[in-house]
Amino acid sequence: MFDVAVVSQILWTSFATSSYFVLFAVAFALVLKVNKVFNFAQAGVMTCGFYAAYVAVRLLEWPGFAGLLAGIAGALLMSFILEYFGFAVLRQRKASPMFVFIFTLIVSQFISYAIMLVFGTWPTTIFASMFWPVTLVGGIAVSAWDVPAIAATLVVLIALWVFLRFTRYGQFMLAVADNADLAELYGIQKNKVLMISMLMAGVIVAIGMFLYGSRAQVQAAAATELMLFAVASTILGGIGNIWGAAVAAIILGIVQNSSILFIPSAWQGFLLYAFLFFAIVLFPRGFRLPERANKLKRTIRAPDALVTKQEG
Amino acid sequence: MKAHWTLKSGAALVLATLLAGSALAQQTSYKFGMAMPLTGGQATYGNDQVKAAQWAVEEINKKGGINGKPLEMIVMDTQADPQVGIQSVNRMISVDKVAVFVTAWSGVVKAVAPIANDNKVVELSVGANSPDISQLGDYVYTTFPLADVDIRAVAGYSAKEMGKKKAAVLFINNETGLGSATVYRDTFKKAGGEVVAYEAYDQKATDFTGPLLKIRAANPDIIHLQGLVAESPQVIAQARQLGITVPITSYSGIYNQKLIEQLGAAAENVIATSLAPGVEDSPLVKDYVDRWVKEVGRAPNGLPYTQYLYDTPALVAAVFTALDKKGIAPTGENFRKEMLAIKTFDLPLTGKVTFAEDHTVNKPVYLVEVKNGKWTKKAVVGQ
Repeated sequence: MFDVAVVSQILWTSFATSSYFVLFAVAFALVLKVNKVFNFAQAGVMTCGFYAAYVAVRLLEWPGFAGLLAGIAGALLMSFILEYFGFAVLRQRKASPMFVFIFTLIVSQFISYAIMLVFGTWPTTIFASMFWPVTLVGGIAVSAWDVPAIAATLVVLIALWVFLRFTRYGQFMLAVADNADLAELYGIQKNKVLMISMLMAGVIVAIGMFLYGSRAQVQAAAATELMLFAVASTILGGIGNIWGAAVAAIILGIVQNSSILFIPSAWQGFLLYAFLFFAIVLFPRGFRLPERANKLKRTIRAPDALVTKQEG
Repeated sequence: MKAHWTLKSGAALVLATLLAGSALAQQTSYKFGMAMPLTGGQATYGNDQVKAAQWAVEEINKKGGINGKPLEMIVMDTQADPQVGIQSVNRMISVDKVAVFVTAWSGVVKAVAPIANDNKVVELSVGANSPDISQLGDYVYTTFPLADVDIRAVAGYSAKEMGKKKAAVLFINNETGLGSATVYRDTFKKAGGEVVAYEAYDQKATDFTGPLLKIRAANPDIIHLQGLVAESPQVIAQARQLGITVPITSYSGIYNQKLIEQLGAAAENVIATSLAPGVEDSPLVKDYVDRWVKEVGRAPNGLPYTQYLYDTPALVAAVFTALDKKGIAPTGENFRKEMLAIKTFDLPLTGKVTFAEDHTVNKPVYLVEVKNGKWTKKAVVGQ
């Protein structure tokens, strides 16, 4: 089993398939950082995104790109409903974080059952065919799905970084993430920023579900299981650290898949949770290095809008 | 004193016979229960199975019912949930007074078994395949072959008829996957083959590269996959992507047209099992599927299961007809006795079924293979 071709294949496939997990983890970490919500309702948004793409591509026979847009629209709509009729109302009523957390769990299950009633329990994919042709690159099987999936994930991550670093609303989001009440005192519309954060997470998970659903079958309850990986990655990456969650998702995927070289494959799921258990016990704040975190804190710039306002 | 008791006993017997006769004379219809998931996650299958049974009841009644009396089916929802199943069955027994009821899904079948035994009402399990269903008590029977029948058939056929010497077994790490994988491994070895890889994958796995690479390294002649409908197509797709071209066998779960649509050429040499004859095997099955397409606009979900459900009212009607002819009251106890006395039933869509002493049934296993983009009949094992 310790053949170079086998190890290379496992590493490549793990890297490629971690693409959607990275997106789910980043979306979860973003909402946790900005909105301060352990948003398990993300599973419901993922489900809506998938089935909107499914309806567009399989039932309405739209092309794949239009299906992706439909998936994004579906996830956006669900995210809007969730924020506007759910989280905003709970914030207004000063609901406790535990209550909000339970609300997200209920929403996730509610959407899962509602989708089940409409689409049934038979698993399905976005495209009729789920077989992607393969090219051998130096003995490694690279499927036609792998490279576009990695590229799409990179584009999303770069776009998110640019948005957070260089746009006004990106900086507002960081300000709200840092101290929402203080940000509001400086004139930032907190509710608007929280809505944008939810919508952005919706777009990210819709792209993730499009990638996942074009490679594997999905049923109404599938997103809940996919979410667990995102939660694990967010915890390992350090709560509040979006990029840490992305890196943790890749590492977790590789560790889990590579474990086959050392342990029976039936133990792979157990390994994920054992790894998570010890990581939380030993690194309760995640794997974030303190020096790096401090450096980031020093270099972070106050939002331009705030500077202008203060100067004025 | 003895003569007095004899007189009393004789009078009691006459009275009982008269009462039974009077009850039978008042018998305006013959009822049986149908407890299936009509809502919830399994409703897609449950509703189609109930529809199949309803069609059968309508046809039986059109042909005169039970000696002129209608056969009545009481339908209750179980949601495939044991607790809901218990409520439904209790209601059917206490309110509707059924002598026999049909149910499915292993969890429900097991949960309601004590109710059937305590009330002496016959429970017919139609579709559940957990091996311990045969040991649930005197009043619990199955008309559906239990889990190991098709796995034994496909393992034996692979070794003996296909001449495969080295098999790899890949299975989902749950009770059903492990149980069936063990049956395959033992049967294949007993038939003279060698199991060169025996790999499980996690129930939540979304990628199967690792176990498939282990299997590829073992260089088998054939692979048996024991997974769920949800991930099996992906496992096969990944196997073919990794250059594994040997035949892949599985069970009835993957026997559907969708697998071919999803995998295209990668589905070639995939072999599945079916526990009921297909369209190619029986004109009655063809008519039945045509009716679905005509009236519902599609083939039924889980075709073989609906065939079994379609056949069950015929079995129930045959027992009630025999009881009616003999003038015996249709109680659960009498139903059981008469069903075991008849023992073998010739059913329209699934063929003959014989109740064995150990509460199991044995049926032929149909093997089908994807050839040139179509499921084609390969063999019938145990005919």
